[in-house]
Amino acid sequence: MSAIKNVWVFSDKQDILAELCAGARQLGEKVTVLLIGNQSAADEAIKAGADHVYLMGELDDSRMVEDFLPTIEKLVAEHNPDLVMFGNTKRGKLMAGKLAAKRGTSVLADVIEFSEDGTCKRRVYGGAAISTIKSNAEVAIATVGGGVFGPQALDESRQGTTENVDFVATESKVKCVERRAKAGATVNLSAAKRVVAVGRGFADKEDLKMAEELAELIGAEIGCTRPLSEGLDWLPREYYIGVSGVMFKPDLYIALGISGQIQHMVGCNQSQTIIAVNKDKAAPIFKQADYGIVGDLYKVLPMLIEKLKSGK
Amino acid sequence: MNVITCYKIVPDDQDIIVRDDRTLGLEKAELEIGQYDLPAIEAGMQVVADAGGKVSALSVGPKLLENSKLKKGVLSRGPADLYLVVDDSLAEADTHQTARTLAAAIQKIGDADLVLCGEGSSDLYAQQVGPQLGELLGMANINAVSKITVEGDKVIVERTLEDEVEVLEVSLPAVISVTTDIVQPRIPSMKEVLSAGKKPVTQWSLADIGLADNPQTMETINTLAPELAERKQIIIEGDSEEAVNELWENLRQELQ
Repeated sequence: MSAIKNVWVFSDKQDILAELCAGARQLGEKVTVLLIGNQSAADEAIKAGADHVYLMGELDDSRMVEDFLPTIEKLVAEHNPDLVMFGNTKRGKLMAGKLAAKRGTSVLADVIEFSEDGTCKRRVYGGAAISTIKSNAEVAIATVGGGVFGPQALDESRQGTTENVDFVATESKVKCVERRAKAGATVNLSAAKRVVAVGRGFADKEDLKMAEELAELIGAEIGCTRPLSEGLDWLPREYYIGVSGVMFKPDLYIALGISGQIQHMVGCNQSQTIIAVNKDKAAPIFKQADYGIVGDLYKVLPMLIEKLKSGK
Repeated sequence: MNVITCYKIVPDDQDIIVRDDRTLGLEKAELEIGQYDLPAIEAGMQVVADAGGKVSALSVGPKLLENSKLKKGVLSRGPADLYLVVDDSLAEADTHQTARTLAAAIQKIGDADLVLCGEGSSDLYAQQVGPQLGELLGMANINAVSKITVEGDKVIVERTLEDEVEVLEVSLPAVISVTTDIVQPRIPSMKEVLSAGKKPVTQWSLADIGLADNPQTMETINTLAPELAERKQIIIEGDSEEAVNELWENLRQELQ
């Protein structure tokens, strides 16, 4: 991949699709969207930044999102775009991988930054480092998360073209028999303006209620360190700050009982302001904090919550 | 049911050090089985416990795979035998090279009904090898699977997506990438550790699996720790009311 001219975009999630359209505008000369949906969805994609939209058909009970891959493969083979970006959902990752294997290449996975010279960046080692990588393929394939380009305002006056394409049917080896909403709360940390993050300084799952109360009072989302979601199972994986490709740039980040290992700090490094509460004076978090208090969070937190409630 | 579970040997990222020039030092990092691969191995053991059959473990990579502690480590978690494809050129393999090598090894092993992968490697975490491997083998291919139930010549799986759960009927043979929620991996017993040393290990070269030509499709130009932002570092000591007041004043300004 050298100069990027033609950028193609696909995502099964509308919000990521809009962001990728806007991002693709900054990267290339022509933005083409591969769309499952109707004309009004195509119009939205054009307002978000698309020049051209391939309408591949609509979802129904007999078609999974993944069943549209052969249609995408055919279009990519016919037109050879410079870059195909998939939103980095689970479906996006599967489809990007299948397309890459078909074309004999790798996927630029969870890219967090594209450069004009065709290189791009991704996090490795749980966020402890960032690799600069480059695809050798004629058609580079990438997965990109929400937050990388950030949401952009829609341009209501933008013009683009829409083209209906035939659905390429293949025999599917995977059939969907049931679909249900996922239990439990969903969290969108990448869009959060304020985040209260919890770490091993909490002795018991019950005690997280204090952090939740603080978060609620200041309108923040809850996040956590890896041990809390992967070792202790106190919070679902979506709450864990570090390894995923999601960019994370809140205005305010409050770290409670977090020591501040590099793997975690990279996840919150782009926060505007970091406030830390930790009883260990030597905790690395204090070197990366704007404001900190060396104290017991079990004493500090109730006092802070009281002050927030009273406003004094 | 012949199950093959794939795994990667990775450095423990807690032991990685960042040098002054922002490059990483991996020398002190202990090698371990990828933490996302352990649940895939255990899920394979569950499948054969329910449906009968055999689990084989498979890894491809550089010479360090030959480490006997690592080989025993994987075999003590249940698999009946182990296959390795060893070549130092695989140390920097991209996801396509890895998937191609695994595919060639799986074809040489033969008769696989179900191939299991973790959701990603714990070092690079591209989450790409499973999806690419399934395509290369031409098998049914699905990721993010949190439950597997065998039903005759197919499996019923639950797939946990961002905001929904799908129940899917997957024909066999299949390549399935599983999440860490699928099952808690075991801690091997002393008996399992002792018997692991007696299980068969088959080691192949790239030539043995007919893959002498497997070029890179992606370059890694460099890997550096990120530059850290400058911070004010106004740190108050103690958890007295006075100290909390001071923190509160700072917090209050930020909230405005």
